Amino acid sequence: MSYAIETDHVSKSFGSVQAVDDVSLRVDRGEIYGFLGLNGAGKTTTIRMLLGMIRPSAGNVKVLGQVVGPYGRGPWAQVGHLVESPSCYPELTVRENLEIGRRYHGVKNPNATDEIIEQLVLSAYAGRKAGTLSLGNLQRLGLARALLHQPELIILDEPANGLDPAGIVEIRKLLASLAHERGATIFMSSHILTEVDKLADRIGIVHKGQLIEELDADRLEEIRSLQLSIRTQDLAKAQEVLVSNQYTTATIQDSRLVVKDKQAVESPELIATLLVQAGMPPTHLAVEQENLEEYFLRLTKVNGGQS
Amino acid sequence: MNSFAAALWAETLKARRSSTPLLTAIGFMLAPLTAGLFMIIMKDPERARDMGLLSTKAQLAMTTAEWGTFLGMLTQAVAIGGLILFSIVTSWVFGREFSDRTAKDLMALPTSRETIVSAKLVVVSVWSFAATIFIYVLALLIGNLVDIPGWTVALAAQTFRDVLATAGMLLLLMTPVAFIASLGRGYLPPLGWAVLTIFLSQIIAALGWGDWFPWSVPALFSGVIGPRSAQLGMHSYVVIFLTGLVGLAATYGYWRTADQTK
Repeated sequence: MSYAIETDHVSKSFGSVQAVDDVSLRVDRGEIYGFLGLNGAGKTTTIRMLLGMIRPSAGNVKVLGQVVGPYGRGPWAQVGHLVESPSCYPELTVRENLEIGRRYHGVKNPNATDEIIEQLVLSAYAGRKAGTLSLGNLQRLGLARALLHQPELIILDEPANGLDPAGIVEIRKLLASLAHERGATIFMSSHILTEVDKLADRIGIVHKGQLIEELDADRLEEIRSLQLSIRTQDLAKAQEVLVSNQYTTATIQDSRLVVKDKQAVESPELIATLLVQAGMPPTHLAVEQENLEEYFLRLTKVNGGQS
Repeated sequence: MNSFAAALWAETLKARRSSTPLLTAIGFMLAPLTAGLFMIIMKDPERARDMGLLSTKAQLAMTTAEWGTFLGMLTQAVAIGGLILFSIVTSWVFGREFSDRTAKDLMALPTSRETIVSAKLVVVSVWSFAATIFIYVLALLIGNLVDIPGWTVALAAQTFRDVLATAGMLLLLMTPVAFIASLGRGYLPPLGWAVLTIFLSQIIAALGWGDWFPWSVPALFSGVIGPRSAQLGMHSYVVIFLTGLVGLAATYGYWRTADQTK
């Protein structure tokens, strides 16, 4: 069976700007794929190429086994999408906006609109003009339009944008249930690592237009490095003490001292002893796993520095 | 419901819910209302002066208050005003998808982009013809109210045909407007284009080349510079038709192949 998404050495440049550079990725059917990258990394351009909105400068894109291009109707009856910020016809009601989507997708079930309104908790706003919606509800409307025809593949660009924390959890649950219960494939981009980490089966990291890493979500847990986190009264002095004792990785980050030397992680009691002897007993000493942001920044730094 | 019917339903709904049709209708109403006011003044200039409609120093053009003059003014108003109002309609129908950032939602659909463009063009045509027929009917009512002399059914029928033909020519000139609204991704570029073409149409007509310039032809046809210009020939209508065709191809081509980054 073909992949849900398959890109083969896809590139896109706008004048002298290389937005996407030789990206080859494959997303299996039924998979939740997180597409991570900083703002301007090339996520939205890649998504637009997947949806045939932008023609690649080089390479090919296949969606649900069909080559994406300007000719033919493509696989779009089975694809739902939300690209960038949600948009709507402001003079139409929420229901009318969705009704347009239903008809464009050729959905015969006349109740589909009401069903998705209920599912996305938009009932209270169904008769309201879309132009009056808050950003969060506009995002729900965009998601509703992407999901109302029960697509086999859902492509979402920053789906958590504008949602409050409860809304984020709710949408996460909805997407997880679509993938796990209905077997839908989800391709979602985000610059929020924790969000992708909680949902994705596999993660692709894009930086400066290039896919620099692709890994299973479980593997991400394993490869994030361990570090010793220390709090004491005088962080600068403590850092001096540790560096003079060959713990050269000691750095101050967010009002704490972080040491990544293998010996420090494996034998934190040695560090505690050193600090006590120097008259700066630690008030907090813990071996922690590098957080996702740190891992991400480390990875992107290795691959060409900050963007 | 097939995909064209779905697209037409969507485009009609957007137009119905918008205030633009009402505003364009009001704008277009100025044509018969102004022509009617002229008829009142020309019928009885002394009374018009008493009512303050006419300055004591003002001189009236050498025209008479009769149905032929009145309906002639209407046709000319359709030719000039229609170029602006139809351009506003076309700019709104196409440009709003970019201004409201909804163009991206019209991509990646089982309903093809060509179908959506076709539905938009049908809405522009129906909207423009409806506005034209509306002001024609309004003109007949105003003419009757003002009690203009010289009414004949044949004259009214001939004017109706002329007004529709003028509107038809203008509609052919709207396909480049649709293209520029798409290319320029908003309302302003096509409106700028409309102003430019009106300006050029005046200059080129004054230079005597109006029969070759598509944007001058509707005005020449309507009799702006006197009875229907003898300059106009088959080549004038062919030029308009070809302009419409090129605009159509450019619009479909743009929607089919251009990168949609907005």
